[in-house]
Amino acid sequence: MIYVKDLKKEFKKTIKEPGLKGSIKALFKPDKEIIKAVDGISFSVEKGEMLGFIGPNGAGKSTVIKMLTGILTPTSGICRINGQIPQENRKKYVKEIGVVFGQRTQLWWDLALRETYAVLKEIYEVPDDMYKKRMTFLNEVLELDSFITSPVRTLSLGQRMRADIAASLLHSPKVLFLDEPTIGLDVVVKDNIRNAIKKINEEDGTTVILTTHDLSDIELLCERIVMIDKGKKVFDGEISELKHNFGQMRTLRFELQKAADIDLLDYQKKFSATQDDIEIESDGALISVRFNSDAVSVEDMLSYTLSQVHVKDINVTDADIEDIIRRIYRREVSV
Amino acid sequence: MSMIKSFFRKYKPFTSAGFQDIVAYRANFICFLIGEIMKCFIMFFVWKAVFNSSESETFMGFSMGDMVVYIFITFLTGYLAYSDGAYAIGEEIVDGSIAMRMIKPCSFDMCFLFQEMGSNIFKICVIFVPIVLGVEIYRFALYGAIQITLSAFLLYLLSLIFAYLTSFYINVCYGFLAFFLKNLWGTGLIKQVIIDFLSGATIPLAFMPPVLRNILNFLPFSSLSYTPVMIYMGMYTGTELLYRMGMQVFWLVVIFLVSKLIWKSAVTRLCVHGG
Repeated sequence: MIYVKDLKKEFKKTIKEPGLKGSIKALFKPDKEIIKAVDGISFSVEKGEMLGFIGPNGAGKSTVIKMLTGILTPTSGICRINGQIPQENRKKYVKEIGVVFGQRTQLWWDLALRETYAVLKEIYEVPDDMYKKRMTFLNEVLELDSFITSPVRTLSLGQRMRADIAASLLHSPKVLFLDEPTIGLDVVVKDNIRNAIKKINEEDGTTVILTTHDLSDIELLCERIVMIDKGKKVFDGEISELKHNFGQMRTLRFELQKAADIDLLDYQKKFSATQDDIEIESDGALISVRFNSDAVSVEDMLSYTLSQVHVKDINVTDADIEDIIRRIYRREVSV
Repeated sequence: MSMIKSFFRKYKPFTSAGFQDIVAYRANFICFLIGEIMKCFIMFFVWKAVFNSSESETFMGFSMGDMVVYIFITFLTGYLAYSDGAYAIGEEIVDGSIAMRMIKPCSFDMCFLFQEMGSNIFKICVIFVPIVLGVEIYRFALYGAIQITLSAFLLYLLSLIFAYLTSFYINVCYGFLAFFLKNLWGTGLIKQVIIDFLSGATIPLAFMPPVLRNILNFLPFSSLSYTPVMIYMGMYTGTELLYRMGMQVFWLVVIFLVSKLIWKSAVTRLCVHGG
């Protein structure tokens, strides 16, 4: 369905020295620097799959999406979607995809929402009966009814996002690209939108590619993630795999009855472990110990702790996905 | 046939959006119009002074009556053939909203063309009829007979459409300069003054020295204003008429192709930052 091979995008950036002299110099003999925004990314996506695309700010996620949607032309590499190359026959290609950029709108600012859809119907040449069916479905999933007669500029961000998603789905695209669809939304609206995306994926079999900073989006929607950083792919696989591979880190939290007892605990010496495997943080009587459960078993940790000190409360938690990703971004774990 | 029909259905919404836009900003439009018409009257009085101080009835083959027609029809032509799509294109390139256009199965220039058509329909309603009527009533009063022929009028309309399309594609090319220039406003003013001069909108090309006149007659700019106005005035007949309109079509095709070429190369270097 989607096939991306060795995709690269370089931008030329002009470096301007400060001041008037710098401006004049930049006009005649600009210093150019080449920035590799996307540096050799390959992946493929099956029909009906939902793929989460994650990475820190400036990692190149949006640039990849813009190349896949035909807005930007890759410097080199191949991307083929449904057997089509986006840049080759743009008008034909974009009829098969839907795109939502969370930070921009594709709706007409001054038109009422209903009119916007009527315009899109003509642009995408959707037949009348198909249009009616589609509107009913989208209405039901995204609950557009309450604001469909309002001009787009009066919609709230959550309403606008729902309207934008509906606009991108009106022509029943085979692939839906969502670039940060939940940015700036409250929890309830986020939930609403996630459910809608899920339903659309299930009922239409639409392939969904999603970028986000909100990891709960990914956990709830996608089975598979591609993580990129500095233009390169750092992880490609199922979320459970990510958890399995990097999720051995557990956290033991407890509260000491006497704060001074902390001196009695020396995990590193006891288990002859490195700083990487055991890390202790304390806040008065509250202690939290992060440890690698491959190096030290949970049972050993607990029994050692309980034998040394008296505690009020104790628990062990799994690393959550956010924690894992944070550590990957910080290069604490290599992939 | 059905293809043409669906083509118009597809772009019709842009026309109505353009129409609604200009209606929404009609006060702005009316003020601008009044200013422009005052400029016409200044030109009128300047030329009146020139003719009054002249010994003969005609000046370089133009009578005062011709001059009046020239001034007002040039204004009308320039106004209707004027295209400001360049600014919109430029802005969209600079702020990246061009991306939202590119994900739609529409032709980029057609969207702008049909959008501008909306505002042009409004302009035609508001100024075309009064100016043409005014000019003809003036000429009727001066010569005691109707001066315009139906064929001249229809040919003028056709020539005006060519002029508009040429102007539109020149501006599309200019809009792509936004890839290099950050702001098109200042250079846009210079461009407009130069085009006004080269197209004969400021001074009739007939008044210019022969060498310059021949060069300007050949360049695409005369298509924008001088040719349609001369056709309206019935100055071109027979083979010359055919030749002039042929030149209009020739330049239209050339500039259209140039704009496509620029678009092709521009789109590969497009960068949309942020978001």
